[in-house]
Amino acid sequence: MRWATRAGVHIDRAACAWLIRRHVDPEAEFVFVTDPDDVPADATPFDMRGVDLGHHGSDCSFETILRRHDLADPVLWRIAAIVHEADIEDEHYDAPEAPGFDLILRALSVAHEDDRVLELTHPIFDAVHDYLRRSLLTGTDTTP
Amino acid sequence: MSRTNDTGEWVFLTYSLPRDPSAPRLALWRRLKRLGVAQLADGLVALPADARTREQLEWAADEALAAGGNAGVWLARPTARAQERELAHSMNTARAAEYQAVIEQATASLSASEVDRARALRRLRAENHRIRRRDFFRPAERERARQALAALAATRQATGTDPEVVR
Repeated sequence: MRWATRAGVHIDRAACAWLIRRHVDPEAEFVFVTDPDDVPADATPFDMRGVDLGHHGSDCSFETILRRHDLADPVLWRIAAIVHEADIEDEHYDAPEAPGFDLILRALSVAHEDDRVLELTHPIFDAVHDYLRRSLLTGTDTTP
Repeated sequence: MSRTNDTGEWVFLTYSLPRDPSAPRLALWRRLKRLGVAQLADGLVALPADARTREQLEWAADEALAAGGNAGVWLARPTARAQERELAHSMNTARAAEYQAVIEQATASLSASEVDRARALRRLRAENHRIRRRDFFRPAERERARQALAALAATRQATGTDPEVVR
């Protein structure tokens, strides 16, 4: 299936793309557009204005996708807290890791094309997910 | 920010919300305030344009639409440099007052107990960070706030060391 989002990906779109490929559609292909009108007819748009998989209320798009797909995994919600604070910075969550993720994603989006940013961030989100899951299972606190 | 004729590009949000209920109006206003917008007229706010500010105002527009209002996001360029200077000046005045509050509290905390100094430093650093995020034109108070926080941090590091070293 094809998925479309705005070009110039930052934390929310990179995290959403990872979430979609890992937990919603393993075959996902991503298309980047600058205008919502350019979304291909067969693609599902996300993290764009006026689409279902966007910001809603205080939720960023990553949280919206978790809700729409009933993904209740506490590890994914911990990642959601980081993504939310890196993206919106409204102090809704206590996520001290967020500024670090924000910096890394900004730097990657300046240095690389969108496809490459997704290639680079997928293994990072995979590893962070495994790490947080392990610390959740063993009861090791990963939040300072 | 792309520039021609020495004026920068701005992103405008035009919006209107129903009078009632007032909760969405307040929520949107708090959100815009946190972004550090300049209010140009009733229902018209502006930020210097970049990918991030544009996105922030686009989500704010969606929030207005979701609350049953109208909203639009536009890119704009002032026709006169003076107009832009005025806008930047008014935004700087607002940020300067916020930095000034940090400076005053940091200075007042210098004589507090060690525990209170540490607590004040943590709180003021967070507040300063919030102000810097919405500071686009860097008033002089920005650097003074940084120095005031550094001075407060220095008293903390000096604890248990020779006071002579601190001077």
